[in-house]
Amino acid sequence: MLRILHDTNYDFIRWWKVMAAITIAFIVLGLGSLAIKPLNLSIEFTGGTLVQLEFTQPPDVGVIRSTLDQAGIHGAEIQQFGTNREFTVRAQDPAAVAAQSKGAEGVAVTIERVLKQKFGDSNLRVARTEGVGPRVGDELKRGAIIAILLSFLITLVYLSIRFEWRFATAAVIATSHDVFTTIAFLKLMHLEISLTVVAGLLTVLGYSLNDTIIIFDRVRENLRKGRKETLYETLNRSINETLPRSILTHATVLAATLSLLFFAGEVIRPFAWVMAFGIITGTFSSIYVAAPVLLWIERKWPRQTGARQTSSTATPTSRTRRSTATATR
Amino acid sequence: MSLKWRIAIIFGLIAASFWTLFPRTVVERVKRNGEFVYDTVRRVPLKRGLDLQGGMHLALEVDESKGLVADKSKAIDNALKVVRNRIDEFGVSEPVVQKAGNDRIIVELPGIDDPRRAQDVVQKSAFLEFQITDETQALEKALPRLDALLKGKTVAAAVATPGAKKDTTASSAGLQSLFIADTSKKADSAKTDSAKAAAGTVGGPGAFSKLVQQGRMPGEYYVAQTDVGTMTQYLSLPEVAAAMPPGKVLRWSSDTVSLGGRIYRGLYVLDAKPIITGEFLTDAKPNTSPTEGNLVQFTMNNEGARRFRTETGRHIKDYMAIVLDQRVIGQPPVIQGAIGQYGQITMGGKDLQAAQDLALVLRAGSLPVPLKVADVRVIGASLGQDSIHKSITAGVIAIALVVFIMLFYYRFSGALAVAALVLYILYTLAALAGFQAVLTLPGLAGFVLSIGIAVDANVLIFERIREELAHGKTVRTAIDEGFRHAMSAIVDSNVSTALTAAVLYQYGTGPVRGFAVTLLAGIAASMITSIFVVRTFYMIWLNRSRDAQTSLSI
Repeated sequence: MLRILHDTNYDFIRWWKVMAAITIAFIVLGLGSLAIKPLNLSIEFTGGTLVQLEFTQPPDVGVIRSTLDQAGIHGAEIQQFGTNREFTVRAQDPAAVAAQSKGAEGVAVTIERVLKQKFGDSNLRVARTEGVGPRVGDELKRGAIIAILLSFLITLVYLSIRFEWRFATAAVIATSHDVFTTIAFLKLMHLEISLTVVAGLLTVLGYSLNDTIIIFDRVRENLRKGRKETLYETLNRSINETLPRSILTHATVLAATLSLLFFAGEVIRPFAWVMAFGIITGTFSSIYVAAPVLLWIERKWPRQTGARQTSSTATPTSRTRRSTATATR
Repeated sequence: MSLKWRIAIIFGLIAASFWTLFPRTVVERVKRNGEFVYDTVRRVPLKRGLDLQGGMHLALEVDESKGLVADKSKAIDNALKVVRNRIDEFGVSEPVVQKAGNDRIIVELPGIDDPRRAQDVVQKSAFLEFQITDETQALEKALPRLDALLKGKTVAAAVATPGAKKDTTASSAGLQSLFIADTSKKADSAKTDSAKAAAGTVGGPGAFSKLVQQGRMPGEYYVAQTDVGTMTQYLSLPEVAAAMPPGKVLRWSSDTVSLGGRIYRGLYVLDAKPIITGEFLTDAKPNTSPTEGNLVQFTMNNEGARRFRTETGRHIKDYMAIVLDQRVIGQPPVIQGAIGQYGQITMGGKDLQAAQDLALVLRAGSLPVPLKVADVRVIGASLGQDSIHKSITAGVIAIALVVFIMLFYYRFSGALAVAALVLYILYTLAALAGFQAVLTLPGLAGFVLSIGIAVDANVLIFERIREELAHGKTVRTAIDEGFRHAMSAIVDSNVSTALTAAVLYQYGTGPVRGFAVTLLAGIAASMITSIFVVRTFYMIWLNRSRDAQTSLSI
């Protein structure tokens, strides 16, 4: 039998202060840099025009830019998209968005026309265009925020029923932590935030929540056994006991995520990045956010079941399993 | 539950999945030689979203730059019918036209290769003409000629054009209407009629004349609704068009009338030259007068007023058809006297709503409100193909990696999980097909991701079984306990993910919705396979190999 990190006894939670400092630093760094440059929102949210172009020959980006400038499309963002023959042009500046409100395709048509004039009709193909009015963008932004908040609320209610409010609150706080770290990650990586990325963020939240629930489920079970140990010890024990599962599941999910990241193409890549980061932040928050928060809540509003009140002097988890001997064959 | 039942259920699900996913023949509108025809297509019943098959997505909003619209929701409802009819006329396979929210129309046109034209068709304001109905009984005079012509021609024509092709010519000509609400019904009737035509039941004596009946005013005729398709077909024949009385045109009415229990559609013979067109019209509004009932008052600009005055002066006591995009709107009113800048159309006992609708039509073309494009997306077909290929590559690699990890770590039990994973993929795809979910690119990505997540339940169970074995339990007990103890964690984590997916579905649009649906289908399938199917595998294994009960490869 092959076992990874089996029957471990690490004191995970002991490091929570260090971990809290690291994650807060990361969030502050990410969100703080918002003051310098805002989030890279896709045109779905800001309104504007995106044109994805396929050239037969690698073009000179400077020429594309000057051609667009001459056509009156200023400040367009030109980005390589996968190969050096594919580019996206994004015209997002608010003035242009307002100007084209009479017909959102206007800019896309102009871009296609001037570039075809410059590079020749047969040398370039428009693979995709998107034109979004400003109002649609606002609605999508609101929709995304509502979706996230609502999913929190529903989770809170569900977990309060299945566990109890302390666990539910700790789980939701851990999950909200992931929202912030993921946004910080998106910011620091300068990834474009599209609807797909928002879907990815929600998947991360679901995944992180899963992870927290798996650990809390074990905590719930261990508490029922009524061992003479503190909640601190029970949490550590539960994290250790679920460690092999965590490693295995993270491995398979990471395998799927990496194949998306490397093979599924440029459109999906931001989603895959979010998911890859999500595996890390989800695991982290289940251990270093959910558990300390639960401990803190427990200290503020202790439960009435008195079994663990006296156990602060008990020896730290000394487990007496003889599993390895019988298990290896 | 006995083992036999479990196996029966698993095989039942497999059979159902295969049945759902089996390529089937469907009648679809497809493009052949640049023309849209109804044809049977054999395909796997998985719908691809626009981002995978290429096409155009449009979101239309009420354009308020030309004046505020009080009840946008209602205006959109009205505009929806118009847009839908126009899209049908445009000819796309499987178009989607739906209301989104309160004030938006979503149009999805798969496989469109001319987005400009599509947008124009949707947004154009219609062509309005005032035409005088024929006073000379021109059609009656031409009837013998037409009958004779059809007697010789129809059979040949029916053989020459294959049934499917004729359907579209008939329906697309018929669908130029902007006011027929139920176009699909009309297309159907056209189809059955053409079937009749192919069978040779027409083309006998009086083929043309027996279809038309004299109406209530000069130039008005009725054609039974069931014969509209046949008639449209006749009219589209070049020989018939040539034999029509010169200087006259035939136009269908937008309304149907019920006479003696049968539904008839008006067919009008009109002077080909309109006395005036809608470009001179500046305003129209509904009104109610105590003496004349409901009416629509319209205003012409100066040039229009001059022309209109001379023309109407010449046609007093004649009937004037209001023709919108070659379709006669309502019943042609009689001209009482010369009309100049201000005219009115009495509604003849119809309610104020009808007057309001007509005023809208006159004012804004056929669209009750001007529409503007709020959101447009065009995805090239090759880009979609490319996305599918890449997603499949990523999926295959993900599966290979997950299979490797499971086999490497859990050996025999891992193999059971892999077998369950195969069923998971089958069930998920079948569920997507069964619920007619639309596969989108984020959906595909979600599916690939779910392959990694799907084994989580198995991992939980296997780890639990290992723990039970470590406690010195027998294999049989350890398996039982493992499943029992892992259950609460599996249920809680899956339910909370499902709730998140449901929220995504509710608040997402297009591609994100596809993602949520894939996620939900995946959760359901993974619960079934990892709990029920793997459990059954273990039971089979325990039953078959008695000696294996002392050791389990996990």
